[in-house]
Amino acid sequence: MIDLLLTRYNYVAVVLLLGIGAYMIIESTNLVKKVVGLNIFQTGIFLFFITSAYRVGGSPPVLTNEGPYVSPLPHVLILTAIVVGVSLTAVALALIVRIHAEYGTLDEDVLREVRANE
Amino acid sequence: MTDIASLRPLAAVLVPALAIVAIVASHRRPNVREGWTILAAVTTFALVASMVPATFAGDAYVTDLGAFVPGVEFALRADALGMLFGLLASFLWVITSFYSIGYMRGLAEHAQTRYFASFAASVSAAVGVAFASNLLVLFVFYELLTVATYPLVTHDETAEARAAGRKYLAYTFGGGVAVLAGTVLVYWLTGTVTFAPGGIEALSSSDPTAARAGFALLAGGFGVKAALMPVHSWLPDAMVAPTPVSGLLHAVAVVKSGVFGIARVVLDVYGPATVADLGVGLPLAAVAAFTLLAASVIALRQDNLKRRLAYSTVSQLSYIVLGLGVGAFGGAQAALLGGLLHIPAHAFMKLTLFFCAGVIHVETHTDDISDMAGIGKRMPLTMAAFAVAAAGMAGIPLVAGFVSKFYLLIGTVNAGQLVFTAALLVSGVLNIAYFWPIVYQAFFEGEAADGHDRKPLIENPLGGRYAVAADGGGHGAANGRGDASVSDVRARTSDPAEESEERADADGEYAVDRYPSDHTRPGETVARRDGEVESAEHAAEEPAHDEDADEVHHGGPPAGGWERRGWLGEESTWFMLAPILTAVAGSVVIGLVPSAVAFLGLVERIVSAAVATGVVG
Amino acid sequence: MSDLLPLLVASPILAAVAVLALGYKFERVGWPIAALASLVQVGLAGTVAARVYGSGRTVTYELGGFRPPFGIELVVDGLSAAVAALVAVVALGVLAYARRAGPRSIAFYTQYLLLVAGLSGMSITGDMFNLYVFLEITGLAAYALVASGDSGRAAVGALKYLIIGTVGASLFLLGIGYAFVATGTLNMADLSVRLAEVGYDATLVRASFALVVAGLAVKTALFPLHTWQPEAYASAPDSVSAFISALVSTVSAYAIARVIFSVFTVDFFAAVPAARTAVLTLAGVSIIAGSALAVMQTEVKRMLAYSSVSQFGLVVAGFALANQAGVVGGTVHLVGHGLMKGGLFLAAGALAAVAGARTVDEYDGLAARAPVLSGAFAVLALAMVGVPPAVGFVGKWYIALGAFEARAWPIAVVILASTLLTLAYFARLVERMYFRRPAAGTAPAGAAVADGGSDRPAGLSVGMVAVVVVVAILAVALGSLVAEFEQLMQPTLDTLLQL
Repeated sequence: MIDLLLTRYNYVAVVLLLGIGAYMIIESTNLVKKVVGLNIFQTGIFLFFITSAYRVGGSPPVLTNEGPYVSPLPHVLILTAIVVGVSLTAVALALIVRIHAEYGTLDEDVLREVRANE
Repeated sequence: MTDIASLRPLAAVLVPALAIVAIVASHRRPNVREGWTILAAVTTFALVASMVPATFAGDAYVTDLGAFVPGVEFALRADALGMLFGLLASFLWVITSFYSIGYMRGLAEHAQTRYFASFAASVSAAVGVAFASNLLVLFVFYELLTVATYPLVTHDETAEARAAGRKYLAYTFGGGVAVLAGTVLVYWLTGTVTFAPGGIEALSSSDPTAARAGFALLAGGFGVKAALMPVHSWLPDAMVAPTPVSGLLHAVAVVKSGVFGIARVVLDVYGPATVADLGVGLPLAAVAAFTLLAASVIALRQDNLKRRLAYSTVSQLSYIVLGLGVGAFGGAQAALLGGLLHIPAHAFMKLTLFFCAGVIHVETHTDDISDMAGIGKRMPLTMAAFAVAAAGMAGIPLVAGFVSKFYLLIGTVNAGQLVFTAALLVSGVLNIAYFWPIVYQAFFEGEAADGHDRKPLIENPLGGRYAVAADGGGHGAANGRGDASVSDVRARTSDPAEESEERADADGEYAVDRYPSDHTRPGETVARRDGEVESAEHAAEEPAHDEDADEVHHGGPPAGGWERRGWLGEESTWFMLAPILTAVAGSVVIGLVPSAVAFLGLVERIVSAAVATGVVG
Repeated sequence: MSDLLPLLVASPILAAVAVLALGYKFERVGWPIAALASLVQVGLAGTVAARVYGSGRTVTYELGGFRPPFGIELVVDGLSAAVAALVAVVALGVLAYARRAGPRSIAFYTQYLLLVAGLSGMSITGDMFNLYVFLEITGLAAYALVASGDSGRAAVGALKYLIIGTVGASLFLLGIGYAFVATGTLNMADLSVRLAEVGYDATLVRASFALVVAGLAVKTALFPLHTWQPEAYASAPDSVSAFISALVSTVSAYAIARVIFSVFTVDFFAAVPAARTAVLTLAGVSIIAGSALAVMQTEVKRMLAYSSVSQFGLVVAGFALANQAGVVGGTVHLVGHGLMKGGLFLAAGALAAVAGARTVDEYDGLAARAPVLSGAFAVLALAMVGVPPAVGFVGKWYIALGAFEARAWPIAVVILASTLLTLAYFARLVERMYFRRPAAGTAPAGAAVADGGSDRPAGLSVGMVAVVVVVAILAVALGSLVAEFEQLMQPTLDTLLQL
């Protein structure tokens, strides 16, 4: 078991990131922290993809290098996914700015109270 | 039996449907609008009638509009059974159209355009039900009929009417779901849902359990509209609708569409032979027998005339279903014949009865039988027609009901099911028991001697102490006087009218409206009702309140007793009297010379086709 | 001809850029460009659909000339052609409506076109990762559109939508990762072969299925993953709620079908019956819970939103039955529901413009003030309930038949009962509209026929009413075309179901 955890530490990291991210999304009442959690959650997935590309003794997939290469495909995919993630964060933060301007709070519970009184 | 490709069945459905457009378009000019109704009614009847000769020649007009879903054509086919129902619905629509005009104008009802448009839609759907060539198309029109009738049930827009409408929708859509499930089941078992005389052949050889389940679903689903117990209770509630609706739709088109559906299932989907094999005819007949007895007993206890008629309808519809159930037994074709013939027979008689109830309501605002003592003087022609039709209901010879019931009795005896024979006979006696008092009271009892004397005691417990409030100005007067009733009045007035209405609506508890009439002063009632939707009817009642506090809810004779009117139509308008006389004449003709009317011939043809093929298959 | 496929995605994106670029100079340029792009989109989608249905074959295109499975492939078969056409048509209808109803900012038209691009991309892509990217483009555009309402409420609704939607998309991405690890490919056609080689009982494959379906179920808003949806629909501007409700969940449900049939295939269901049971259960629970929640709502748009939860249960149930009738029913109801629900939201928006009615109570007596809109609303509601011969009924007929054929009795009961459940929440609205007088004070004096007469309220245009009426007519008329549609779908069905 310990051995497994030590040799597969990448996956342990993935699970930890996913767990921390999910916990923050669900549990934190601060909207900004929720978005941070979202980013951590996504990072876990990115790491999972990148890990899948790894092969023992592989070099970066650049033609000048000697083979064998690590798989280049996941890297490309995750590059795209990171771009998507950044845009999402941007939109989310823009929304949060508007919410703060409107209600003057970033706390979910306070927000609920304020809106209930609307 | 050849099929003739023709647009006539489609046209019979489309003419009333197009009339909806015309009616709505001419909503600002009532005379034009009613002209459209009459024109559409006559055209539809002419179209349907024009197909009768071919039906007698053994042919059927068919309109095929192509595949609806794979294996199911969207086709309309005017076969004998369809003609029976189509002819009935379209002919009675003509009569009812005239009656509707007299009734709606007599009461100066609101939303008449919606009323006439919905009526045309209902008839369109009913004709569609009649001519549907398979279960799915039948289901399509069956559901459309539900939708089209809903605005008519809810026409009054009172809390009571809305509650009735909700109940109506819930019951009939529930039945519709069962029909749909049964249809899918039949399609799944056989790959087709097209009607065939003597039944779909593949059904007789399919899994008996599934086939029984399908029959139960179909019969149960159609049974909702056929008002079989225990799913009948929407029908008495739906009597809140205007009387022509109760007449044509809740005695003829809608409820008969349920019965017609059961007939289609027994004769053309399963076939009498398969029904007998599966042993599902007996339970159906048993439910019907229970319904017709129980409903007759309940009818005895109804004081509201329309509710009594409604329970009578529940009972009479079960005659038909009983005939269909028993008819599946070997050698009991007579029961099928009787059951099917009872469709038109009951339609004519019950339409007469409802029309009479409607005229009484329009002319005197009397709804309860206990208030009708001596009304024969005021409305001689109406009550005479009522008496004739009531006699027919009870199965007295020379009126339509006798012929069909005679066949039914013979059929049950032939089938060896003497229990059902007994049920029919007992029910006949009960019929007399609940119709005779009305006739007796109308002609042979004086209004002064009637039980009116008991009412002041019950309704005015404090001996007229609040009489001053009866003029409707109760609040101000009571407050100013400052007597013991002030707190009571305040408690009521502090309730915003809207709020109390809202509560009543939410619960559908219309009893709230009636409550004050028993325990508080009539003036209160008027105030509350004014908070409600003010229908013209209520407005018309108001002058009476000032004179006689007893008359808030009930009509009954005016203070000096009924005035005497002549026999030549002085009692009402001919718009209403002529339809009544036509309908009652129809029921007498069917009773006197059944073979001279198209219906018996059609019925014989249906039965022989179904039974002959059933034996061969 | 297959060159048209990338244009389906590229043309709205280019138009979006054009709106953005020109918009800052000429403020009124947004609507004309968007309308032009929508018309082009309808033309493109129509041409592609005609080609697919005409030839009975799938149309494919290799992006950038890279041969699949290495390159990204666009694939249009009978199923995706129907969805792409729906996207184009609904987009055009909503745009016609939005001209008066707004929002009319440059940002709105840009986001609107991006959403069209994302939805079209989702419906025609043949690559799993590409599907994820389009899913996120769709999501981003949708979040921004929801927030385009003026109120703070819209921003809160959009943020909730964003967080839950992103989690859903991330789960989907994780599921793709599992499948990728198992097979080393992302092309759908290639995946279906490789997954079979790996073996359907491999944990990796099963986990992948679970994650992918769960992720898409969040986007489709199946109960209990629907929590983002009511607030997003209710807080967005009317045009946006109509657009999103008609399309975003629809295309996600399409993606579920695509994943089930083109990636995991019916063999997967045969090998892992628990997967099918799980999806069917999810769908069944969604039908019942969505209806129950809809009945409890006081706000009309929230009620319609919960109705979607229920109706998508029906759609997904049809797909999960995985037989001919079920898939046809699912497709028909997918398209039909898109039209009907879009129309209902538009009608609700127009009624709000006429009478300010937004809650169930405020619908009292609306029929007298807006007869045309009320009539259309009632027709659409009844079509949704499944009154024949409307398209809502035909879809239900097929799905019920599919349930019978699959002998899935519990789901058959739920499907049939859904008629009554739907009736429960629509009947009370229709009753209020037609058979109650409005509460005193809300009705302006002499407010006669408000949507047909010349004295229209400022918020309502002929176009808005026309769009609603056309949708109502379509909802009824399309029902009769389904039999022919099934003929056209047959080659696709043969492929999807491996008949």
